[in-house]
Amino acid sequence: MKLAIRHDTTYRYDDQVRASIQYLRLTPQESQRQHVLDWHLELPRPVPAQRDPYGNILHVLSLDEPHDSLLISAHGQVEIDTTRDCEQDSLSPLPFLRFTRLTQADEALRQFARRYCGAHRDRAALSELMFGLADAMPYSPGSTRVDSTAAEAFAVGAGVCQDHSHAFLACARSLGVAARYVSGYLFSDDSAHLASHAWAEAWIDGAWYSFDVTNGLTRAERHLKLAVGLDYLDACPVRGMRRGGSGEQMHARVQVSQQRVQAQQ
Amino acid sequence: MAREFYDEMYDGSGNCRSHYREFARWLAATPAEQLARRRQEADLLFHRAGITFTLYGDEQGTERLIPFDTIPRSIPAREWKTIEQGCIQRVKALNMFLADLYHEQRILKAGIIPAEQVLANDQYQLAMQGLDLHRDLYAHIAGVDLVRDGDGTYYVLEDNLRTPSGVSYMLEDRKMMMRLFPELFAAQRIAPIDHYPSLLLATLKSASAVDDPCVVVLTPGHFNSAYFEHAFLAREMGVELVEGADLFVRDEQVFMRTTAGPRRVDVIYRRLDDAFLDPLAFNPDSMLGVPGLLSAYRAGRVVLANAIGTGVADDKSIYPYVPEMIRFYLDEAPILANVPTWQCRKPAELSHVLAHLPELVVKETQGSGGYGMLVGPTASRAEIEAFRERLKANPAAYIAQPTLSLSTCPTFVEQGVAPRHIDLRPFVLSGRETRLVPGGLTRVALREGSLVVNSSQGGGTKDTWVVED
Repeated sequence: MKLAIRHDTTYRYDDQVRASIQYLRLTPQESQRQHVLDWHLELPRPVPAQRDPYGNILHVLSLDEPHDSLLISAHGQVEIDTTRDCEQDSLSPLPFLRFTRLTQADEALRQFARRYCGAHRDRAALSELMFGLADAMPYSPGSTRVDSTAAEAFAVGAGVCQDHSHAFLACARSLGVAARYVSGYLFSDDSAHLASHAWAEAWIDGAWYSFDVTNGLTRAERHLKLAVGLDYLDACPVRGMRRGGSGEQMHARVQVSQQRVQAQQ
Repeated sequence: MAREFYDEMYDGSGNCRSHYREFARWLAATPAEQLARRRQEADLLFHRAGITFTLYGDEQGTERLIPFDTIPRSIPAREWKTIEQGCIQRVKALNMFLADLYHEQRILKAGIIPAEQVLANDQYQLAMQGLDLHRDLYAHIAGVDLVRDGDGTYYVLEDNLRTPSGVSYMLEDRKMMMRLFPELFAAQRIAPIDHYPSLLLATLKSASAVDDPCVVVLTPGHFNSAYFEHAFLAREMGVELVEGADLFVRDEQVFMRTTAGPRRVDVIYRRLDDAFLDPLAFNPDSMLGVPGLLSAYRAGRVVLANAIGTGVADDKSIYPYVPEMIRFYLDEAPILANVPTWQCRKPAELSHVLAHLPELVVKETQGSGGYGMLVGPTASRAEIEAFRERLKANPAAYIAQPTLSLSTCPTFVEQGVAPRHIDLRPFVLSGRETRLVPGGLTRVALREGSLVVNSSQGGGTKDTWVVED
């Protein structure tokens, strides 16, 4: 499946920002399941790409001229191999066993994980867990905050894709299954869901398998991956800080569309 | 409970050991009032010098003077030679372990340390994976904590590879002794230590590939318990003391704000934990770090001393493997012994520990500063039972060791002079070569019978002499 993405983020500040710095994970990389046909990241000034600790493509944008707005624009086309349901990795999955503040499993999450998986650590058991979480915390924008932890969202019994993914990671790790956070884009016919998306991957039988709690999907065939990490903070597309500027309005516009294969002329 | 302690000054038959003879002679010849007067003078001078220490858990953040004892801890030069070689060997192996861990992981592949124990450890930093450091050095500054058992054998109690502190007390204690009792230093050959700041600066400079690099000391600020030391070391080295807000990153390069405009920074002697270094990469709530620092570090544009991720090598769950590391990387026999350690994560060792709690010292694998530990022989039954529950709930978080009968050294106390338990922290600097200044910081547990020497737990310090005998 070929996807075309356009992702524009605009920040407008109430006052002049004296300086700002952003960690941007807005560039997909080649993998066994996605082939990047073309990709452009437009920034106020050119910035070299680097790799972050998780191997994601990272751009660090530092601005020290006063500014009152910031436009970040990413667009391109990516071919998704919908037949592939997992990805190999040469790096050890063991670092993805640890909890973070956002993915700490409390007793409720541990019990929930045990109830669905028992002694099983296979794809079927983790799928049950995924569906269980989707039932236990229905998609409900506004029910949680960007810094809500897995345990907090689970206790509320609702959440968005970020909370779903954190809860899944907390459960999987509590079972001794290495699992990681994925941020990216989702192609969806249902326009109610944002096209920016997050899901989880778990390490089963030597490969990473996808678990999209929000959409109840165990195949990431409509998913374009941007970055992975231990949690949202590691993998989120934009993380920044600024001096000055007081209030801000952030406006993000994401369009994901499927490209029809054009007949040769 | 009868225990055999090794006394640093007197042997089993009450005779003064040869390297203390000169001091003992002086002590006997000096009137008690004169000693008392000098001790008061020392208290006053330390207050004036501002050597104080903030206690964790003290909500007022009250500053307190760390008690200084005027009876030195003395080490004969030939004994020091062994300690020095042992510390160098150990720190070399630990640096090689870190370089290996963040690259080929030969020691894991050889099955010497279980991969999960290292890679799933919170202190293992993915940010360091595959990153090449100048000279392959991670712990430029290390503190090796040593204690002596009943027969005088030195044991390594723990390694400190993150931000070991205390060296300012080592230096100030010496200055104080020379000021109060100059005659002692004229009467015998006591190895000097005042070149530590210049060695430290040379070490920090040699950590960078840049010619004449710009070095700064990064402190969390004056609320930190070791702020005095941060300021002290910056002043002694003649470099800037900065807080996170004084630094900024532009295009993968770190700059310091100065009145003359931005100045490039090449080496940061950081006294800030990994989690606080860069709010965009680690703890987002950290107001202490520098946004973008990790990107500059990973691009090789700035040196952090110590490196990120050294905590995985001084974690108490890794400590039992250090003798193996020395054999594996250096093909040498360890010069300094490890304290026998039970790893509670192993079921058989856990049951041994649970059955012998009243005799053992139990520590959190990630704890430091003497918090969260159980000293079996001095704990109440209730304390032991409470600890047993914590241990059973999360065994992997603990290790246990036999209660060592730490050596004692005569110490001024209210009743006069009495033996108190001590330890020793030499500071190991790794740069072009691995070096120490002779001695280190001697900490003394001032409470009678106490084995906890941490300043946060009521410990004091002593000047540490390496004496030619």
